[in-house]
Amino acid sequence: MSARRALAALAALGIAALGLAVPAEVAGPAQAAPAQAAPARAAAEGDDGYRATRELTRVFANADGTTYSFPTYRVTVTADKTENLRGRQRIRISWKGAQPSGGRASNPYGENGLAQEYPVVVLQCRGVDGASVPVAKRVRPETCWTASVAQRSQVSRSEGEATWRHDLYADDAAKQRTSGVTPFPGAQECPTADIEPYATRLTPFVARGGRTHLACDAAHMAPEAAVGAAFPPAEIAAFTEANGTGSVQLEVRSETENESLGCNHRVACSVVVIPIVGLSCDAPSQPPTAGDQACRKGGRFAPGSSNFSGEGIDQAVGPALWWSESNWRNRFTIPITFGLPPDTCDIRDPRPPTGFYGSELLAQAATQWAPAYCLAEDRFKFQLNQMSDEAGFALMSSGGGVAAAVSSEHERRGSDPVGYAPTAVTGFSIAYVVDEPDNGGERTRLRLNARLLAKLLTQSYLGSDLGRGHPGMAGNPLAIMNDPEFQELNPGLSTTTQEAGATLLSLSESSDVVEQLTAYIAADPDARAFVSGKADPWGMKVNPEYEDIELPRSEWPLLDTYVPATENTCRKENPAVYFTQLAAPVTALRKISEALLDAWPNVQTRCELDASTQQYKLGRVDRQSFGSRFLLGVTSLGDAARYGLRSAALQTRPGTYVAPSDASLGAAVRLARQERPRAPFVLDQADVRKAGSAYPGTMVVYTAARLRNLPKADAAKVAQFIRVSTTEGQRRGSGNGELPEGFLPIRRTGVTAKLFASAQDVADAVAAQRAPAGGDGPGGGGPGGPGGDTSGGPAGGSGGGVPGGDVPSAELPAEEAAPGADVEAQPTAVPAMPGTEPVSSRLGGGLLPALVLVGLLAVAGAGGLRFFVRVPR
Amino acid sequence: MLALVCLWPAAQLLFLGSLTHERAQELLYRDLRTQLAAATAPVGPVVPAGDPVALVRIPRLGLEEVVIEGTASGDTTAGPGHRRDTVLPGQVGTSVVYGRAATYGGPFRDLPELRVGDAVEVTMAQGSVTFDVIGLRRAGDPLPPPAAAGAARLTLVTAEGDGRFGAVRPRDAVYLDAEAAEGFPAPPGRPTAVPDSERALASDPAALPLLALHLAVLVALVLGVLAARQRWSTAVVWLVACPLALAVSWATTDVAVRLLPNVL
Repeated sequence: MSARRALAALAALGIAALGLAVPAEVAGPAQAAPAQAAPARAAAEGDDGYRATRELTRVFANADGTTYSFPTYRVTVTADKTENLRGRQRIRISWKGAQPSGGRASNPYGENGLAQEYPVVVLQCRGVDGASVPVAKRVRPETCWTASVAQRSQVSRSEGEATWRHDLYADDAAKQRTSGVTPFPGAQECPTADIEPYATRLTPFVARGGRTHLACDAAHMAPEAAVGAAFPPAEIAAFTEANGTGSVQLEVRSETENESLGCNHRVACSVVVIPIVGLSCDAPSQPPTAGDQACRKGGRFAPGSSNFSGEGIDQAVGPALWWSESNWRNRFTIPITFGLPPDTCDIRDPRPPTGFYGSELLAQAATQWAPAYCLAEDRFKFQLNQMSDEAGFALMSSGGGVAAAVSSEHERRGSDPVGYAPTAVTGFSIAYVVDEPDNGGERTRLRLNARLLAKLLTQSYLGSDLGRGHPGMAGNPLAIMNDPEFQELNPGLSTTTQEAGATLLSLSESSDVVEQLTAYIAADPDARAFVSGKADPWGMKVNPEYEDIELPRSEWPLLDTYVPATENTCRKENPAVYFTQLAAPVTALRKISEALLDAWPNVQTRCELDASTQQYKLGRVDRQSFGSRFLLGVTSLGDAARYGLRSAALQTRPGTYVAPSDASLGAAVRLARQERPRAPFVLDQADVRKAGSAYPGTMVVYTAARLRNLPKADAAKVAQFIRVSTTEGQRRGSGNGELPEGFLPIRRTGVTAKLFASAQDVADAVAAQRAPAGGDGPGGGGPGGPGGDTSGGPAGGSGGGVPGGDVPSAELPAEEAAPGADVEAQPTAVPAMPGTEPVSSRLGGGLLPALVLVGLLAVAGAGGLRFFVRVPR
Repeated sequence: MLALVCLWPAAQLLFLGSLTHERAQELLYRDLRTQLAAATAPVGPVVPAGDPVALVRIPRLGLEEVVIEGTASGDTTAGPGHRRDTVLPGQVGTSVVYGRAATYGGPFRDLPELRVGDAVEVTMAQGSVTFDVIGLRRAGDPLPPPAAAGAARLTLVTAEGDGRFGAVRPRDAVYLDAEAAEGFPAPPGRPTAVPDSERALASDPAALPLLALHLAVLVALVLGVLAARQRWSTAVVWLVACPLALAVSWATTDVAVRLLPNVL
C-alpha cells in the first residue's frame, strides 16, 4: 500500500518535473506552458458556481527537434452548482472557445460517446486538485469513474492504434508496450492484456475503500460498472458546436448510487472537464511508424457532422485517451461538495422523529431542512413522511400525526379546528425530455396548453396501431407529436410516433397536484369543451370513456377498458387494457422525475417471450435512445430543479405561455385569496387566465395542524417548525436548513407578505391551542359534510376539553379536578358550543300522511266510481 | 289499484313492520344473550353489519331493544342501529345509535319524553353501564360540552314531527345525549367515516336494483295470476296466489323501505 503511494508520489513528481523540463527543451510549447500552469480562474458566479479559463494547445515535436503548435484554444468552463449536491442531482456545465466537435454520436453517455472527435469529456472523480492537497486526496485518472472498460483502458492495440505511446508529455513508463499498472498483471489475471506485440494501457479504478479494479476486461471493473447496472452511465463525451460553445448536464452520483466512487459530504470529489484538442506527439522515429502517423491525425469528421453508425474515428482526437498526459493536463477540475446524506438525522440524532405527513411537493425542501432541526439541540427531529395529501390530512386530524403538509383545503374530519400555515411556495411542473430532430440536442422550450394536457390525461391519443380499434376516436392522432395543435405550438420537432408521446406520466394516487392540474384544465374553455365531447378544430375527439369526466378532481382514474384485438401471440396470451398500459401512472413524483432523468417511459407495452419459462410477459419498454427522446411527466418544481429537468410553459390566456419562475410564481401568489383567517389561500384559475403572467401550477404547501387538543409538546414542535421554516428556512441556498431551488421564498415583505403573516398567526394559534372547537375553523359544517352528522361529536374522541357554560351540569368541578385534562384550556373563556346542525327530511315528514291520504282518496274514488258510474259490460 | 299501492306500504310501515321488528328483536335478543353468556359478543372496532352489539333499556319508557351494528335504512328495520364510526355503546367516547320513530315498531318513538337525569341502561360485551340523560337537542341547540376523559357518552338519534299528526310525520332529527362517568376501553381502529347511506335521516339508494327485481317478481305474479285465471276457477287461483302475493308484497315493501330515511 505504502509502496504504491510512494510510487504514485514519484510519478506525480516525475510528471511535474517533465512539465517543467519540456518547455525548457522545446521552444514551441513554451508560450502555452505558463498559461497552463496557472489557469486564470475568475471569480465564480455567485458563491455556488465555477468558472475558469485555460489555454489549450496541441503540439507536435518534429524529428529535427523543432515543434509545431496548433492554434491555441482559450476555453472557459462554467458550472452552475457545485456545493451541497445530492445524489443524482444534475449540474449544468457549459464551455466556450473549444475546438468544434465532429462525428457526433446520438448518445454521448458512457461507452456510446467514444466514437466522436474533439468532444469535451466530463467525468466525476474522487479527489481534488491543488498543490496543498495531500497526494492521496488528489484527483487522478485512477479515481475518475467510467462505466465501461473501453473508456479507461486500451487493451491489445496494434501499433497504429497505440497513439498514447507517442504522447509528447507522457513519461517513459507510459510509453512502454504495457503500462498503467505496476507490476503489470499476468496472463492468469488478465489473459488478454499482455499479448506480444500488441500494446496495452490499463487505467485501473481505485475504489474509495482502496481496492484497485484493474479494468483490463469487464470482469475487472467496479461492481457499479456491471453491464445493466442500476443507473445508466453519467459521464459524457459532450459535443461542441461549430462556434466553440457547448453545454451539458452532468448527473453526479453520491456514495448511495456509487459506493466505489464514494463521494459524500466528507470525501471531496470533483467534476473533471477535459476538452479534447488532440494528442500532442513526440518526435517521430525515422521513418515515422504507424503509431507516429496515427498520433498526428486530425480527425475524419467535419465539425458539426454526425456519426450515427459509430464508425471508427482517429484515436488521437477521440475521447478514449482522456487519461493520457496530453489530455489530462488540459483538465478543468471543478471541486464539488455533497450535502449530508438523507439518513443523517437517523444516524446522528437518537431522538424519536416527529412525523409530518403529506405532500411530496415539499420533499426537496424537507431534505435540506431536516438536518437543521435534528442537529440542533433545542429543536426536534423533523421528518416528512410523504403520502397523499388526503391521507396525511386524515392522519393529522385523527391524531396519528402532529401535522400534515397539504396544498389545499381538506374536509375537516374531527371536531378540532385546523389551521393552515403557508410553509413553501412551489408548484407542479410539466417536465419534459424532448430531443430535437437530426441530432440537434435537447429541446429547451416547450409550450403546452390545457387542451393538450386534457388530451393526454383523457387517453385520447391512440398510442399506436393497437389503439386504432378503440371505438369513438379512430380519427385521433397516434401521439402528441402527430397532433397538429402541438406541432403548431412547438414547430420543428420530430413527428415520428412514440407510444410515450401518447401519455403524460402522472400520479395514480390522490394528490393536490392532480387537483390543481385538473383545475387548470377545467378553467380553460377549450379544454373543457374538448372533455365534454366537442372535437377540437382538427377533428380530434375525447376518449368516450373520459367524456364529461368531472373536473377538477384529486385522483385521476383509469377508465378505459379497451383490449385491442390482435394476432400477436404475446398480446393474445396477455390481454390487457392498452391505454392503461400507456398511461401507467405511478405513486410518487420522485418516480416520475427519475423516469424523466433516465428517459425511461413507464409505458408497459413491451411484450416478449421469457426464454427461461417459455411464457409471454408484459413489461416496461426500454429506455429511449438519445436523439429521439420524448417524454412528458408531472413532477414538482423542486424535483425539476434538483434533477435539472426542463419545465414546459403553460398557456394562461390565448397566446401567452408562462414557465415557472420566481416572477410567475410571485404573480400567482399575488392572485391567491384567503377566505378566512388561518385557511389556505385559494388560487382561482380564472384569475390566472385573466392575469396572464402567473404560472398556473403554482401551489402553496401548508403545514396543517390542529388548533385544539394537540398535546402541548407536539404543539410547540409544530409552532417551532412553522416559525423556523418561514424565516430561516426561506433563505435560498443549498446548505442545511436553506431553501432549495424550485421554491419561491416567503418573505416578510413583497407578494409573499400575506403568506408570512398568516403563517405566524397560525404558529401562534397552534402554540396556544385555544381555538374554539368547531368554531370558525375551516371545513366545518358544509352541507353534506360530516359536521352535520357528527354533531354528537362521535369522532371527538375522549380528550379532555372545555366545559360548556350553558349546560346545567355538575361536572365543572370534576373537569377541573381531572389531572389529565388540558390545563391550558381551562382558564380561557368558556366558548359557546356550536349549535346542532338541522337534519330533516321532508320525505320522512310527508310520506305516511301522503300515502294514507292518497290511499283513502283512491278508495273513495273507486267507491264513488262504482256507485255513480255503471260500467258498461 | 292505487289505493292498494298506497295503503299497503302505509299499513306495512305502521303495523305489519312491527311484526318484522318484533321477530327480528326476538332473534337478536336470543343471539346476544347466547353471545354474552359465551363471552363472544363483539367489542369492536369492526363488527359485521346487522350483528347485535348491545342491549339498551330505558326503564322510564319501558323500552328494551337490541342494538344492531349499522345505521343504513335496511338495518334499522330490525332495531336501533349503532353508527359504525363511533365506539360501541358503553365504551369510552361517544357512541351514536339511530332508532326509528314511527315505523317498524318505532322503538324510539317516545324518546323526546325523557328528562335530564333519566337512566339509560346498556348491556354489552364488556359489562353494563347506566347512562344519565344530560339533555335533548333539536336543530340549533348547542352541542353538549366534550365529555370528560374516561367518560362514555351515548347519543340516541331519532326523528320527530310536529303538528296534529306529529307521531306519523317524523321529519326532523332529535338527539338525546346521555353520559356515564366511566366507560369501558374502546379498541382502536374503527372506521373514520361511514357511507352517506348510514347518516341520520339518510336513505339507501343501493336498494334500487333489488327493488327492481322484487317488482319484476310482483309483475310476474300478476301475469301468472291472470294466466291462471283463464284455466282454473277464481277461487282456486286466489287460494294459491294470495299467500304468494302477500309474501312478495311484504318483501317488496321491505326493500322499498330501504329507500326511505333510516330513522323514520
